[in-house]
Amino acid sequence: MNKTRLILGIFIFGSLWGFSECVIGNFFSDAGLPTAELMVGFFAITFLLLSRIYFHQPGMQIGMGLVAGTLRLFNPMGCHLCSAVAIVAEGAIFELIWYKFSFDFRELKTLTMQASMGVISGYLVFISGYIITQVLTPIIAGTGFFIENLIFIMPNILAGGVVPALIAGFVVPTLLLARKLDLTIKDRIYYPTTIGISALCWLIVVGNWLLA
Amino acid sequence: MPATMILGKEKIIPIIAISLLLVGTSSAIYVNETKIDKETIAINGIEYTVDQIFAIGTIKTITTDDGEKTGIALDELMYKLNINCPDCSSYTIKGSDNYQQTVDWDILKTGILTDYRKVFFPDTAHYLWVKNIVEIEVNNK
Repeated sequence: MNKTRLILGIFIFGSLWGFSECVIGNFFSDAGLPTAELMVGFFAITFLLLSRIYFHQPGMQIGMGLVAGTLRLFNPMGCHLCSAVAIVAEGAIFELIWYKFSFDFRELKTLTMQASMGVISGYLVFISGYIITQVLTPIIAGTGFFIENLIFIMPNILAGGVVPALIAGFVVPTLLLARKLDLTIKDRIYYPTTIGISALCWLIVVGNWLLA
Repeated sequence: MPATMILGKEKIIPIIAISLLLVGTSSAIYVNETKIDKETIAINGIEYTVDQIFAIGTIKTITTDDGEKTGIALDELMYKLNINCPDCSSYTIKGSDNYQQTVDWDILKTGILTDYRKVFFPDTAHYLWVKNIVEIEVNNK
């Protein structure tokens, strides 16, 4: 695959993911909804899987996590550092979970397999992101990491994975249906569209941060 | 990919998915069962109501990246509660849902406790902002 096309793919999917975390996440948070669970179960899994369906490239989801995590740092609401660390980890964990699967998803022929992979992805991406941010955020922020705190909150983390697992259990089979659609975009449309949408995501989030 | 490997995956993947859901569900039941439902806050083993804490402490407003927050200054509160060597202790702040975080004096002294039982610290990541606090444990070093 053309490297420029791939890099722009990483950038647009990462930007859309980061934008969702910053803008839609804030709406969920204000509405008192379980934001982290909804963001992982629906938005993160959707963008990560769509990128895998349409680009078939290893390493792409790690790149998307880095782009989305960087964008999340500019969000004036919530815990910037914790969320950014979690997002980067989520991209890497998703990549690891799907590492052994082919890019044409031929192993996931049955609905049971597709839903099961959704559950596994939603659950492990959520709890891994949570655990990694609980370890790395205090270290990066220099506030001190206490292992006993992580042990005590482990049941909360494990319990928190159920909602994203169930959501992803529906999202993954639905998205795998979409892989049959031919969404090939010609280069002359692809490049300006991806650059434009990515730039818009960044302008809105960074602009909101500067005005806050 | 060999067909036998795909068949193996067909069996093991649903089992892993069900196992993860069972772990999550049993953890949720555990968290719900162990949730602490009380109106007081135990500080160094002694129970205080929020009103008592506000009567003892000094109200302070701090600026965080989430705006201004007003509550009782935690440093003065620890001094007024006669905590043994406040500045050489660490503090484990526990929420009703068993979420907890430990902070050293250098962080605690900058923070406040609000009347809705949440702590805020300026210039720290929000994971330290424990809500629905039921206990502040003093750990002497």
